[in-house]
Amino acid sequence: MTPLFEIESLTHRYGSVLALDDLSLSAEPGAIGLVGQNGAGKSTLIKILLGLVQHTSGTVRVFGSDVGKHGVGLRGRIGYMPEREGVLPGLNGIEYVGLAGELNGMPRKQSLRRAHELLSQLGLEEARYRRLENYSAGMQQRIKLAATLVHDPDLLLLDEPTSGLDPDGRTAMLSLLKSLARRPGKSLVLSTHLLGDIERVCRHAIILEEGAVAASGTLDELLAGQPHAFLLQWKSDNDAISGEFLAALQRSGAEVASGDELGQARVVVSEQWVTQQFFQLAHECGVTLTGLEPEEMDLSTVYRRLVGIDAAAPPLIGLAKGDASGVATS
Amino acid sequence: MSDLSVTDWKERPRAAWLAVWPIAFTALRLVFRRKLFWLLLGFALLNFLLVFGAIYLLATLEAQQPQIGKMLLRMLPELSGTGKTFLNFMLAQGTVTMILLAFAGSVLAGNDHLRGGLTFYLSRRINVLHYTGGKLLAIGLLVSLTTTLPALVLFLEQGMLGDTVEYFSENYNIAIGILGYGGLIAVTLGLLLFALVSWMPRPVPLVMSWACLFVFLPVLSGILRWIFDDRHWRLLNLWRDLYAIGSRCFGEAAVRSSDEAQLPEAAAVVFSVCLVSFIAIVVRIHQLRHQS
Repeated sequence: MTPLFEIESLTHRYGSVLALDDLSLSAEPGAIGLVGQNGAGKSTLIKILLGLVQHTSGTVRVFGSDVGKHGVGLRGRIGYMPEREGVLPGLNGIEYVGLAGELNGMPRKQSLRRAHELLSQLGLEEARYRRLENYSAGMQQRIKLAATLVHDPDLLLLDEPTSGLDPDGRTAMLSLLKSLARRPGKSLVLSTHLLGDIERVCRHAIILEEGAVAASGTLDELLAGQPHAFLLQWKSDNDAISGEFLAALQRSGAEVASGDELGQARVVVSEQWVTQQFFQLAHECGVTLTGLEPEEMDLSTVYRRLVGIDAAAPPLIGLAKGDASGVATS
Repeated sequence: MSDLSVTDWKERPRAAWLAVWPIAFTALRLVFRRKLFWLLLGFALLNFLLVFGAIYLLATLEAQQPQIGKMLLRMLPELSGTGKTFLNFMLAQGTVTMILLAFAGSVLAGNDHLRGGLTFYLSRRINVLHYTGGKLLAIGLLVSLTTTLPALVLFLEQGMLGDTVEYFSENYNIAIGILGYGGLIAVTLGLLLFALVSWMPRPVPLVMSWACLFVFLPVLSGILRWIFDDRHWRLLNLWRDLYAIGSRCFGEAAVRSSDEAQLPEAAAVVFSVCLVSFIAIVVRIHQLRHQS
């Protein structure tokens, strides 16, 4: 099967600013989440995949074709939904979506017919003749999505599609994206900083940090590759004994992050670790364990720890890089 | 909207250059939705109706009262149906066109640069040339709507009101002149306006720059010519340069003696303006595409 996209040694600079740094990546068709902090290079990567931005160096192929050479043709198979920009004030909904179709090579009649269909399906039937500047934020996101879908693209590149939506609108948009991702032969790349969105829609995730891939793989792999984390609470007579207990944990191979309060720590252990070892070490050091709570590992925890946002989060060890089946880095 | 059931579209897409039409059509649609532009178009139409009526009146008088008609034609030689008639009509229409373009510029293309419309266009199955072509076509059509088209209508009227249809065969060079001058104005103003809009998308700076080019510079050129007594200063007046070249499209007889010597220089100025504008457009779009 032809990979959805293949990227080799991609570097992109905006003047002196390095946006993407020697990035290599390949992805199979499916729903892929692209996550990273502001400035991590998500939007730049999406614009490069679209051929909208000419990269500084490296090779980028989408559907097996070089975006530098076949950008126009490839864009006919891609639908791009930008985060903030992309609405043309003065046009109404139907004109806007119809224009998007015509610009993608559709005859006017067919483009307008599909525009009507899409707007009905996206709940914009009543507002289709209203000017875009009078649309609410949620409606603008939906109309942009309609313009993205009008030419029935094989790949959707969605940049923060839930940005500015209220909770109900966000839920509805995510349900829709999920249904889009399930359609046979169709793929989507969802760029967001909302990890919950990726967990709901995508099966694969790419975590970008400072223009490089910090981790990638299927969500299951990203989470399963993580060691077990526990929140420990104990009682002891003095600080020295607590210190000794923490040292004993570290000597046994656990990674320890002390909590804000005395007698509390987050501990990450390997898969071979047996829970009983906590009690044994506590007994040996003379402390009484009062709490042992396994911490649930979600993408948010993985991400926060990986990009160093939350130092108190349990440290990640052994996070698989470059060996995931769906998305691979090298 | 939790699930989509839209029919697939699997047809072969049309050639990318055909997208030039919807781009131009959309730009014009946005212009025509502004009341101000209808007002300005109304002014352009008034001048047209005035000339249309005058030609009709003169032709009728010439047929029914030949002596009065001839006398009036001697008094108003610019309405005699020669190349000058149409050249001067287009020059007069040009004033309204100038104002129209100054205000229409932001709507035609400026908003694309201000509000991310450029991303909307360039993320589709077209490239920068198609986008630029579409916008230039829109400006060209707008210019033609106020200059070339009414001039052609007047030419038809002039021919049809005459005694014979030979007017058309004898004066085909007038039609060529109208198309030539109209094309020259459309291309030059299109490139210049699009270049200015690309760098100054907001309406106020755009109107001010446009006014500088077509009001301040002609005044300055007149003053400098008077001070230094050098006719070359006249070349600063772009509208005059266009007129000089445009008059040549109507044949040698239509060229004013004062313009004749400066024709090559005027052509060089107009060509330079077009070239610089084109480069400015390409550089700006390249810059915008590479902004994060």
